[in-house]
Order: sequence, then structure tokens, then C-alpha cells
Amino acid sequence: MSVYTGAVQDLIDELGRLPGVGPKSAQRIAFHLLKIPTVDAVRLARAITEAKERVTFCERCFNLAEGTLCGICSDDRREPHVLCVVEESRDIVAVERTREYRGRYHVLQGAISPIEGIGPDQLKVKELLARIDPEGVTEVILCTNPNIEGEATAMYLGRLLSPLGLTVTRIASGLPVGGDLEYADELTLGRALEGRRSFDS
Amino acid sequence: MRVDRLWLTDFRSYASAELQLAPGLTAVVGANGEGKTNLVEAIVFLATLGSFRGAPNDALVRLGAHQAVVRAEGERDGRALLIEAELAAGGRSRVLVNRQRLARTRDLLGALRVTVFAPDDLELVKGGPAERRRYLDDLLVAVDPRHDRTRSDLDRVLRQRNALLKQVGGRLDPDAAATLDVWDTRLATAGAALGRARRELVANLAPLLGSAYDAVASEAAEVHIVHASEWLDQGYAEVLAEGRAADVRRGLTLIGPHRDDVELSIGPMPARTHVSQGEQRSLAFALRMAGHTLVTAEVGSPPVLVLDDVFSELDSGRSDSLLEALPIGQTILTTAGRLPPGARPQLTVRVAGGDLTTDSPGVPPVGTA
Ligand SMILES: Nc1ncnc2c1ncn2[C@@H]1O[C@H](COP(=O)(O)OP(=O)(O)OP(=O)(O)O)[C@@H](O)[C@H]1O
Ligand SMILES: [Mg+2]
Ligand SMILES: [Zn+2]
Repeated sequence: MSVYTGAVQDLIDELGRLPGVGPKSAQRIAFHLLKIPTVDAVRLARAITEAKERVTFCERCFNLAEGTLCGICSDDRREPHVLCVVEESRDIVAVERTREYRGRYHVLQGAISPIEGIGPDQLKVKELLARIDPEGVTEVILCTNPNIEGEATAMYLGRLLSPLGLTVTRIASGLPVGGDLEYADELTLGRALEGRRSFDS
Repeated sequence: MRVDRLWLTDFRSYASAELQLAPGLTAVVGANGEGKTNLVEAIVFLATLGSFRGAPNDALVRLGAHQAVVRAEGERDGRALLIEAELAAGGRSRVLVNRQRLARTRDLLGALRVTVFAPDDLELVKGGPAERRRYLDDLLVAVDPRHDRTRSDLDRVLRQRNALLKQVGGRLDPDAAATLDVWDTRLATAGAALGRARRELVANLAPLLGSAYDAVASEAAEVHIVHASEWLDQGYAEVLAEGRAADVRRGLTLIGPHRDDVELSIGPMPARTHVSQGEQRSLAFALRMAGHTLVTAEVGSPPVLVLDDVFSELDSGRSDSLLEALPIGQTILTTAGRLPPGARPQLTVRVAGGDLTTDSPGVPPVGTA
């Protein structure tokens, strides 16, 4: 259904590939971009290019980072013996908003979901295990999403970590079941962190 | 719960139509193909956002139109109820309840409740176990909307476990086994929740089904309903563990709530295979009415009862006993034939050539009394 000329259609197609952007929104954004002053459009293009060039994943926790370590891993005021395991970098933002947590993170970069072909091997699970001894980790908080895949991932990690003699906790409910951490308000998420319970696998 | 007025725009065969409904019985009469079922389908759409005939939502938009709009005014728990639904030809729908946009369609559950009996319901008795599982699960959700979650959790966990079983290709290495352990635990929990809920529901339905059947059947009979589940008593976790080798070999979860059935019998005769078509129809009707009675008791007010084409299914004796046994609350029935002499509708709506005409024998219309 390409009714537009090459360049316009290419832009719509690229935008349409973004998460949460359907064909209609892609079209609307494309026309918006074509209407705004060139400098503004170029600034956006440059921001994307620079972010892509400069931002990588933290070598330690797989959070977004500029440089080898992310801002949290390179902050030596953070408690190094507690790890909060999340699915995505954006979940760190949600947990940080609560101001309840002073430890470090580990980003799995997903959750176990056979339907999407994602098993433990596709996630940063080995990397998590490799951190326990060298960093002297004594507590792991499983902060995956309270949905089917997040719960399964937490259970899998709980069973893997508990025999290592760590304290393994799961954030308490109070979060809307089936929801996403990134949409939880900080009060709810803060309480869920505070009320975390030891993990029974 | 009541629907007093209904407006349709480009819904099915109706370009534009407005209809008033009685607080008690409304009869919709007209020849075949005039649009009687379309009318009640619109009411049910407001409750479920789907077609009870199993048609895709596309089919609900009048041919050539871009979107259908269904609007209803009524009453729920003593308060005014306004439901407005738009359905685009592309299939997306949008609902407002009392002018509030619903965040999720799940929130619609309970805004308007309906019980539908339609000719296809014969499949509840004659068809496969999937029909009867859906009957039970729909009823679970009607009684308690939280069971929508019980049901979708089970679905999702089962799909995940089956995807994993398929991926391992018949051989389970220790890593895959550890992942499968997790899905087994999740499935055991989700399955047990659904299994227990179904069992309790069937226990509550059993006595209601007997009296609902007797109300329409020509002669009273012992009707039995049993939740047939080959895993619930033993415990699902144990059953999954025992069946693991077979599941891995077949790449599929072989035992569980997704294989449950509801066994129905009349006296000693299994209803699916041994009883007459007339008896099967009466039993299908009794299943719907028993569900209706149960929801009425649990929720505290009767759902709107929609009886599509019931009389074509029943002989005149059964039709009369059905009309006598109509529960309290609002009922809308459609018929292509004559109304049985025992019928005393408060309003009769005639459908012909796309026009609706209403006559109310001696009963003032709603709102002007
Ligand atoms: N999307 C649509 N657009 C236009 N017309 C439609 C659409 N869907 C169905 N129809 C028309 O509606 C008519 C069927 O209406 P309906 O099923 O309500 O009939 P009925 O009065 O219940 O008949 P019966 O007595 O046979 O059950 C069909 O004749 C069909 O042409
Ligand atoms: Mg019909
Ligand atoms: Zn880091």
C-alpha cells in the first residue's frame, strides 16, 4: 500500500518498526517531522546517532552506559553486596524513582518466554552468577515484572541462587498483577521493595 | 440490570434504528432474515464486545459502512447506565460506560451482564468438550470477574510450557529440565486454581440444572452433571511429574484442565450420545437457565436474558412451560413464528423491511408511566 514516494514511505516504515508505534502513528510522526524546521529534525537525527555511538551496555550489570560502566556501577556510594535483578534498563529508572534502594543492579535484558524463543541462555543469567563471588554479593532481590513470564523468571533464578547461600527475595505484591514495573507508581513500587519476602521456590 | 433503550447505527443490517425495551418481557417478531437476531446481537455486544454467534467483529459493521455504533440506556444496581460502543470495520472497538472510557475491555465485565440462549447452544450437549469447558469458564467469569485472570493465566502458562516442550524436540537436557520445572510449578498452581473453581461451580450448578430441566422437559427426569477431570484429585504437580516423559516425547501437555469435560446425562443415558434431539435441546436450555439462576444469586440481580429463536427449538407444550417458568428480570425473546398463546409480552417489536414497530398491549412504555 505504498502511496507515498520512496523517502517518505521509508521514513514511515522505519517509524512503524518502533515499539508501540502503529501504522497510523508512524504516518502522523513522519508528517510532523517533515513539517518542522530542518534544524529540529537534524537535531533529532543527531541525538539518535550519538546515542547509538556513545551508549553501550554496562560491562558489569548490562544497564545502559556511556563508557564501560554505567552510572550506578561507577558510583562507589552504592552498596555493592546487594543486587536488584530487573528485566530491562528502564526498570532501573522505576526502582530508582522510589529512592528506597541503595544497592546495585543486574539487567537480564528480557524474561524467560519460550513462545518468543527466550530461555535462560538468551538472558544475562550466566553473567549474573559470575558476579556473586567476585563482588561478594549477599542479597539478591528479584525485581522482574509481576506477570507470567516475570514470575517464571524469578522462580527460575530463585532456584538457581538459593543453594549458593545468599538471601534471595522477591518484591512483594501490591504491584498490579500482570503489570509492568515501568508503569508502577513510585509509592507502590517502593512499598513492594520494602515488603520484599524471602523467596520460596 | 436492565436495558431500556437501544440505538444502532450501521450495525449489521441496520443503518439506523432505535428501540425501546420493556422491563419485563419484550418479544421481537418478524420473518426469517428480517434482523431479529441482529437486534439482540447488538445488546449482547455491549456486554461482551463480541458476537454470540461467533462472527468476527468485522461482520457486525453494516456492509459498506466504516463503523458501527451501539448505544444503550438502562439501569444497574439502581443507577442509570449508559453504554456506548464503537466498532470500526477494521475490528477495533471503543467503549464508554457512563461516558467514561474503559482502559481495558476487561473492565467492561460486569457493566452489563447477559445470558443468551440461541439455537447453536445445542452444541453444548452434542458438541465436543471444548464447548462445555467454555460454558463453565464463561460462567466462572460471570460469577466473579477475577476468574478472567485465572483463565488467562492458565492459557498463557500452558502456551509457554507447550512452546518449551516443542523446542526441546523430544530430548530434555538438564538446563531445559530446570526451565520446565519452573513452568510445571506455575502450571500446577494455575491449573489447580481453575480446576477447583470449575469443580465448585459444577457442584453449585447441579441442583439448579435439575429444576431448570424439569421446567421445560415434557417429563421430569434425573439430570446429572459431573466435572470430569483426570488430574484434579491426584494433584496437578504430581500428575505433571508422572507425565513428563510422555509430554516431552509428544512435545505437548497431554493432561490438564485444557482436557477437562463436563459429563451430562439424563437418567442413566449419556446426553451426548444416547438421548433424543428434543431432550438435548431441553438440556442445553436448562444449562443456560441454571447458569442464569446461579449468576442472579451470586451477583444479586438477574442478567438480561436473551432467548433467540427458542420456540423453533421446542414443541408447544415445552414452549408454554418455558414461558411460565421465565425468571424475574428482563427477557428479550425473538421468534420467526407466532408467539405461543401463553406469551404475555409487555412490548412486541415487529421487524419488517428494516423498520421496527412497537406495540404495547395495555402496558405503558417505560419512562412515561
Ligand atoms: N454486516 C452486515 N451488513 C448488512 N447486512 C447484514 C450484515 N450482517 C447480516 N446482514 C443481514 O441481516 C440479515 C440477517 O438478520 P438476522 O440474522 O437478524 O435475521 P433473523 O431475523 O434473526 O432471521 P431468522 O429468523 O432466520 O433467524 C441477513 O439477511 C443479512 O443480509
Ligand atoms: Mg435469527
Ligand atoms: Zn552497571
